[in-house]
Amino acid sequence: MELGQSIDLASLGSQLLVGLSRAMILFIVCAGLSFVLGVLRVPNVAHGSLYMIGAFSAYSVFALFGTSSTGFWLSLILAPFVVALVSLIAERALFCHLYQREHLMLLLFTFALMLIFGDLVKIIWGAEYRSVLAPSILRGSISIFGSSLPRYNLFLLIVGPLVAIGLWFFTSKTKIGKISRAAAVDREMVGVIGINVSWVFAGAFVLGCFLAGFGGALVAPTVSISLGMDHDIIIEAFLIVTIGGLGNIWGALVGSLIFGLTHSFGVLLWPQFAIVFPYAAVVIVLLLRPRGLLKSVW
Amino acid sequence: MFRGTIDLKSLWPTGAIFIVLLILPPILPRFYTYIIAVIFVTSLLAMSLNLVLGHGMIFQFHHGVFYGVGAYTVALILTKTSLPMWIGFIAGPIAAAMAGLLIGWFCVRLTRLYFGMLQISLGSLIWAIVFRWYSFTGGDDGIHGIPMPPPLSSLNNAYYFILIILIICLVVLYLILKSPFGSTLEAIRDNPQRCEAVGVNVRRHQLMAIVIATFFAGIAGVLFVVLEGSVFPDLLFWVLSLEVCIMCLLGGWFTFAGPMVGASIMVALRTFVGIYTEYWTLVLGVILILLIFFLPEGVMGYFLEKVKPQAEEGAERRSELDVAS
Amino acid sequence: MLQVEAVNKSFGDFKAVDGANLAVEKGELVAVIGPNGAGKTTLFNLITGQLWPDSGKIIFRGEDISSLPPYEICKKGIARSFQIVNIFPRLTVFGNVQVAVLSQQRKSSLLFPPAQNLATEETRDILESVGLSHKATNIAGSLSHGDQKILEMAIALGNEPELLILDEPTAGMSPEETTATLELIKRLAGEWGLTILFCEHDMDVVFAVAQSIMVMHQGRTLIQGNLEEVRENREVQKAYFGGE
Repeated sequence: MELGQSIDLASLGSQLLVGLSRAMILFIVCAGLSFVLGVLRVPNVAHGSLYMIGAFSAYSVFALFGTSSTGFWLSLILAPFVVALVSLIAERALFCHLYQREHLMLLLFTFALMLIFGDLVKIIWGAEYRSVLAPSILRGSISIFGSSLPRYNLFLLIVGPLVAIGLWFFTSKTKIGKISRAAAVDREMVGVIGINVSWVFAGAFVLGCFLAGFGGALVAPTVSISLGMDHDIIIEAFLIVTIGGLGNIWGALVGSLIFGLTHSFGVLLWPQFAIVFPYAAVVIVLLLRPRGLLKSVW
Repeated sequence: MFRGTIDLKSLWPTGAIFIVLLILPPILPRFYTYIIAVIFVTSLLAMSLNLVLGHGMIFQFHHGVFYGVGAYTVALILTKTSLPMWIGFIAGPIAAAMAGLLIGWFCVRLTRLYFGMLQISLGSLIWAIVFRWYSFTGGDDGIHGIPMPPPLSSLNNAYYFILIILIICLVVLYLILKSPFGSTLEAIRDNPQRCEAVGVNVRRHQLMAIVIATFFAGIAGVLFVVLEGSVFPDLLFWVLSLEVCIMCLLGGWFTFAGPMVGASIMVALRTFVGIYTEYWTLVLGVILILLIFFLPEGVMGYFLEKVKPQAEEGAERRSELDVAS
Repeated sequence: MLQVEAVNKSFGDFKAVDGANLAVEKGELVAVIGPNGAGKTTLFNLITGQLWPDSGKIIFRGEDISSLPPYEICKKGIARSFQIVNIFPRLTVFGNVQVAVLSQQRKSSLLFPPAQNLATEETRDILESVGLSHKATNIAGSLSHGDQKILEMAIALGNEPELLILDEPTAGMSPEETTATLELIKRLAGEWGLTILFCEHDMDVVFAVAQSIMVMHQGRTLIQGNLEEVRENREVQKAYFGGE
């Protein structure tokens, strides 16, 4: 057991960056999940599948443009829209008929969606590993204070806050955002003032899934894209959303930071059990603040 | 003492099913015997979950952990110690119940979705430890080739052993549900606030239900080891836990036998659709969606709804007599 | 029997109960009156432990019960009904009352004897005396509103309380149902030897039944006294009768 050996400032710095950039991906996915939870009150188990579809779509777009850097930038833009389209179809065709039902039934429905999406991905893309190459400007690393920092991770550190600002702007400054926030707090009221609640829900659902797809497209160059990505992320995403406060987008940010950083420092402290650290952090948070760190909309 | 708990009318079909199950193994091909035994083990797991999920409305989202704890306990005792086998068989459920007590103790302070989330994180913690602790649990490989003594080593004998334990467990679960404990649990499901006001310590009662349910999950874990002779971390993974929840909902979570029906459907689908296509989860997903739209109360719930008119008349007359006498 | 002394409870900035005092003697029928929002229901929730007071004392038979959970308070001998119907909708009428009786007999946690053979005597007696025995096998959720309010009381009786607290027992009832319910309350107080504390906003109901009346206004106790004292009190006239 090489507990705590060889922790120096340089590796601390690069682990910090790894943790932060992982947190940014988690945040983008979890913000979407949290948004759906807040407005529709549905824990969407299929969210991880949409993230996986995002990653695979990014690969397809990338391959279509001859694995060029244009392909990469287009994949970042197009993949989320593919996911949004898929979610819109699922919502309008099936999901919107179920809103009056028991909570657990909605959970069951999204579980069924997860099963279906999982196999559809297998049918369309097969079971091989896929990968996306970041453009040369984002490849390699730059060295600051003796630690070498991968450029793509730095790129993620820029994108994450941009998404956060964009979401903040959307929910507090635009009319649609305000309506969906109001719907999260009091759906009857929104219905009373003559807004079609059903479309508000559809919009919120699609936006949440769009973020899942965007997260998938962003993560594509850093991992090997494969089946099983959905299982890996969804439980983490649920835990993050819970410790942040259900339905609170800033809570998703805080939760993602906790999850990403405890994991990357866990790797430094005790590599074999690094995976245990974030779960332990979640347990500690929930024991101290059972309803999450920030105010939940429920 | 148990007078009147068991409905004589439903005794006949139950007995008939039991006799059929007894004579099946010599007749059936090995493979089918094995599948039915898998259904038995999975049914017990689903039944144990439904004690808290359907009858207590406690969102036990990570029930698989206790199944896994039971299975790993017996596997570790059989492979790492020279203790006699029966100690392992008893230790499995007890370890599961203790894990249930520990995790439940933290969780019962919360309600509903928050309860479920805390349980998933605590359960995932245990899963992560089992998954990575190669020197003790075998890590992601698990433990294989667990030795069984001769009386249990043949498939048919294991089948009968599992069947008998299953029947005993079902009878005990049934009695528990019909006892004051069970009816108070259902009252808590309907209205926890009112229950507190009539003097029921709601959290203690729920914790007790969790301990009982996890004990039975531990028994299911032991039976899994008897059948498969191996354990692996997927037993504690959240996907399995969610599948068990689905079995309860699918079969009908407000009924007694529903979870068994759900478990049978899931296992059968996986096995037989799996023979024809590798995309069995797609088929399962489509069937689930059809069920959600057309049978919201689950298969068993639908069945009871259909036969209710006659059955309820009888029941009403009987209980009227009870009250009047 | 029960003394409430200078009890306060705030929700954020809103002082729901602000210095309430109340005394209930054994065998009395005591009413709490006051306009809507005066803090009556909050006061009852404080007494039976659904809420805990910010300050002040609640003493039942010489013992401070102000920070006990509801189930402990129930075991001390205080049972209650709720203003908004609060029953077990999926259980039968019989089952509703039986839950309370089982709890009273400390049998809630028995694991194996069948429930249908336990506590049946007592449950039937209670249904008999409130007049619901012919509906014993009905599902509680399917009863009429009036019957559900009566069932509320029956559940509370299942705990064999010494002090029965009724939160607006006639809320939402027709005039005939109200009269019948008042008769029932008076009869129960006699037959079961109960001490009853109840609240109402309907003045006629209160003056027909109560022996002692406590008047609440904006969370404060204005006065507690017999019917004459309350009727003649200036402040009460201003706050309550004048307001109507």
